[in-house]
Amino acid sequence: MEQEEIKELRSDDNDPLFDKTNMLCKTFPSDFRQIRYFTLLIVQSAPNEIKELNLLEQQISEVIKNAVKHGNHCDINKKVVVWYSFSPTHAHLIVQDEGEGFKDLEKWNEFNRKRLECLHKQNFEELTNYVSFRTKQSDDQDGGNALFAALEYWNGGFVYNGKRNAVAMLKKFQQKRRGVNIDGE
Amino acid sequence: MELKIRKNGDVYIIDVNGEMDLYNSYKLKELVMKMLEKNVKIFIINLEQVDYIDSSGIGALIYICSTIKKMNLKLSIANIHGSVKKVIELTKLMGYFPISNSVEEALLMVKE
Repeated sequence: MEQEEIKELRSDDNDPLFDKTNMLCKTFPSDFRQIRYFTLLIVQSAPNEIKELNLLEQQISEVIKNAVKHGNHCDINKKVVVWYSFSPTHAHLIVQDEGEGFKDLEKWNEFNRKRLECLHKQNFEELTNYVSFRTKQSDDQDGGNALFAALEYWNGGFVYNGKRNAVAMLKKFQQKRRGVNIDGE
Repeated sequence: MELKIRKNGDVYIIDVNGEMDLYNSYKLKELVMKMLEKNVKIFIINLEQVDYIDSSGIGALIYICSTIKKMNLKLSIANIHGSVKKVIELTKLMGYFPISNSVEEALLMVKE
């Protein structure tokens, strides 16, 4: 049987994705109401060709939301720092909060393994138990699915620091063929 | 986000208009729960006018879908497109949701 690669959350202080050389930086208060606005301030510096249908914005917004809500518990006095760098072929970000760190990383990996197993077996009944990752802190507004998508989207890596209160991510894009569009073509 | 309900026989179609994000996705969940209290049994959620969804929006759809499945009632989600489709694909849930390409197709699906 074909074995699918299982992507996992990792934590590693020495991962090269934590190299901040030449990255821009912005700091935000942990204001839940402004998460999408903060995200737009970051995404506006990305070239249009990598914004593909708001997907980049959506994925960045999820990571900032995790930092504001789960990391800093929406404490307005706590900051979220975002380092970022964009080009037509990449999006590289580091998002850091002042929280205790993502303690449930191993539990999440275990949960995700079971989720992927259900998907592999097309067992949608069992999958119902693995569509949303919950912790004691989860509330009704938490979808519990953001990191599933993040691991798929950030194809160049999605890795936490040792303390797990910062996450670095890289998305690589294929360079689009440049050309002039001629009407009627 | 705006929610409008229309009726086709005993099928209730919810037209969602706008962004399903962390600030408003709960509204759809609350609406469906209220409709369940009023004994609505067949639902179509039309996402034709939705161009943005995040994990809270997906979470709302998961909640609605699993609640309706547990109650043995009927649901179809119509017109998933663009980035909404991409986000659902990233979470690998395309097979989990009862999806149809149009409201017409959804009507056939729920009336089966």
